[in-house]
Amino acid sequence: MQILHNPSYDFLGKTKVLLVVSTTLILAGIAYIASHGIKYGVEFSGGTQLIARFQSRPEVDKVRAAVDKVVAGATIQTYDDPSKNQMLIRLPHTGAADGELSSAAQAVLQALRDNYSGNSVVESSTEIVGPVVGAELRSKAIKITIFGLICQLIYIAFRFGGAVWGTAATIAVFHDVLITLGLIVLCHYEITLNVIAALLTLVGYSQNDTIVIFDRVRENLKQRRKEPLAKVINDSINQTLSRTIISSGTTFLTVLALYIFGGEVLRGFAFTMVIGIIVGTYSTIFIASPIVVWWDSYRKRQRPPTARAAL
Amino acid sequence: MPPALQNPFLLWIVLSVALAVLCYFGVRKELRLRATLYGAFILACAVAVWPPYEQDGHPGKIHLGLDLKGGIHLVLQVMTDDALNATIDDGVSTARAQATAKGISFAGARRVDASSFVVEGVEPARVKDVRDILKDFFRSPEWDVREQGDGKFLVKMTDAFVNQVRDRTVKEAIRTLERRVNQLGVAEPVIAQHGAKNDQILVQLPGVTDVEQAKRVISTTAALSLRMVEDNAPTREALLEKTQGKVPDNMDVFQGQGREPGQPEFYLVRKEAVITGRDLKSARAGVGQNNEPDVNFGLNPAGADKFKRETGRSVGRRMAIVLDNFVISAPTIQSQIGAEGVITGRFSAQEADELAKNLRAGALPATLKYLQELTVGASLGRDSIRQGVIAAGMGMAFLAIFMLLYYRLSGLNAIVALTANILILLGAMAYFGATLTLPGIAGVILTVGVGVDTNVLVFERIREELRNGKTVKAAINNGFDRVWMTIIDTHATALIAAVFLFAFGTGPVKGFAVTLVWGLVANVFASYFVSHFIFEWVLGKRQAASLSI
Repeated sequence: MQILHNPSYDFLGKTKVLLVVSTTLILAGIAYIASHGIKYGVEFSGGTQLIARFQSRPEVDKVRAAVDKVVAGATIQTYDDPSKNQMLIRLPHTGAADGELSSAAQAVLQALRDNYSGNSVVESSTEIVGPVVGAELRSKAIKITIFGLICQLIYIAFRFGGAVWGTAATIAVFHDVLITLGLIVLCHYEITLNVIAALLTLVGYSQNDTIVIFDRVRENLKQRRKEPLAKVINDSINQTLSRTIISSGTTFLTVLALYIFGGEVLRGFAFTMVIGIIVGTYSTIFIASPIVVWWDSYRKRQRPPTARAAL
Repeated sequence: MPPALQNPFLLWIVLSVALAVLCYFGVRKELRLRATLYGAFILACAVAVWPPYEQDGHPGKIHLGLDLKGGIHLVLQVMTDDALNATIDDGVSTARAQATAKGISFAGARRVDASSFVVEGVEPARVKDVRDILKDFFRSPEWDVREQGDGKFLVKMTDAFVNQVRDRTVKEAIRTLERRVNQLGVAEPVIAQHGAKNDQILVQLPGVTDVEQAKRVISTTAALSLRMVEDNAPTREALLEKTQGKVPDNMDVFQGQGREPGQPEFYLVRKEAVITGRDLKSARAGVGQNNEPDVNFGLNPAGADKFKRETGRSVGRRMAIVLDNFVISAPTIQSQIGAEGVITGRFSAQEADELAKNLRAGALPATLKYLQELTVGASLGRDSIRQGVIAAGMGMAFLAIFMLLYYRLSGLNAIVALTANILILLGAMAYFGATLTLPGIAGVILTVGVGVDTNVLVFERIREELRNGKTVKAAINNGFDRVWMTIIDTHATALIAAVFLFAFGTGPVKGFAVTLVWGLVANVFASYFVSHFIFEWVLGKRQAASLSI
């Protein structure tokens, strides 16, 4: 069985149109984030999150009525599959003000016990994060991502003998992260630690995809030094196209399984990966590769004879 | 299974030898060594991981994280400034006491901040004496004494000393917490230094769901008492022999440190305490008559009264110093003791110091503040693990079907490689005691994805070579050779990402990074080397005319 027989699509010919699409998507995402703000998970924002499992199916209105009597500002929603009788209750604050971090969570549980009789809480999970930890974690996440990217950039630049390769791969990664982030916010997913992990994995995946094609370009360049770089790159994309489709396709379907069957806890993670794999594959062909070509032609215009050698 | 084979190492040896024999008869000469080595390695992983989860009371080899097992995760801030303040307060009283002893008076000595104090208003005539005292008692490299003129001295802890005190405080707090958590009887608790400045403590109690009880145990303050010892014995049974195994109503049984380090001793002590931590005014380590370290302590008037009465009638008997239901020491009463007493014994200067500190602070050298609290209900955890495993299973089943359809028999090769990949990944995690979290399961799924990518890269390349008219053998060899560089580059960049994730170092994300790192390593071995080997082995020596790919 074979999907493609000697494909020879003109990928690089379409880059201008797709660049407009990508830029629009990124700008729309940034605008949306700017106007709506990012929803952080409790580990980043600080606060109290409580997941309670009830004896029988709880009604959101009644739970809200019970909780509102004692604490203000609670967000209440059904958690995971409704048949599991679970509710998620979020409070923007902890009980830290009066010394006991968990007092807010306890007040909620007590309120449910007192004001929602007939349907008791069987089990609960709580996550309570003081404001300091949340802020510390946020800055750490950003720092780690940037350091990680710099290290990857250096590695790729070193392996491919030119900064442009590393830079192109890194710009493609930024493209992926920005678009994915926009979609996460658009679809009302919270930025949790798991989502950060997924974003960093997406960084790895996108780099992986880019390197496979760059590697083929490097190999082809050894024999085809005389040909225009754009053609060599376009051919390389075509040569690796069936691999790209199969690998991305299979990985996409495994994370889709995770999204559908993995349960509520993994949903944000799986969503990020599902989007990330699509965007990461796309960006290799339509972002990273054109950047290398553009740089090459820019250098040629600057200093025609040595351009290729310096690449 | 025969008992001898229950030892994992022996089991592995037996299986490996069997494998080597099989290889000798079933595999061509040039492949034998590789077949045996690869096989033995994969077997080792399989043995290491078996049984993966709890079965018939045997604990599973894969450690499950809190999110899967249920339990408590706490992050506490150690208020190390408390310990610094105490050190400075001690310094102020030392300076005062020494000056008074020499008949020097000055206007005042007071703490400036957490790490320094001033002595001021010294009469000009006595400045030299004060300087001598301060230089003598507050020496470098721990202290820095600066004269500021007008009979004023600034005594400051050096940065190194401040850090040392902070670090010691956190470590002491950890030791105290360990002692307390041990009472909870939790399997595999984690109590570790945490945070960017190392002044936080991470407490993880897997399987514990009663947060309130756990927190009560952790934050009990100053549970110190001195009680009369009735009897002691190396085991609880021996101790309770006389009373037919029952603890008398007015008594308690506490464990303590025996004569030899690591050997426990059990004490039968009165329930009623002679004095408690509240009666204790001061305690500090010193040096006794024979140059042996000892601990001097002072009592408040009420305490002194009670102590005098009890020690007066109990000379020669032992009194237990009980901290958090643990006997830290049980000295013999040598004579009647009133407001001031000395504890002597065979302890080192450091042990004396520690005992003094325990007496002084009751228990914790600094207050603890809760920064983060996470509890996961056990059945909620079980739900997560079930869903994660179902998702992983579905993903893998789909992959297997696809690979078989698309690559036919070579797809089977990929499936074997994938199975080896997962075995190695889980084996490494079991062997190194890494923890599997829910994101960790996601990491396993991702590993599978990357593993398939390696196979696809190789297979597509082989197809390409075949299309270009290469023989089967040449196509396979070229295919593997050509993608080697690609695999190294892709895995190295992914590894860089994984290492940074690991450094990020918070619970679930760390778990994810750990699986990713091992997954990447396993992947190169399984999807590249093992897969290549299988091709060579199956295709045999003859020149195969066609390849099922």
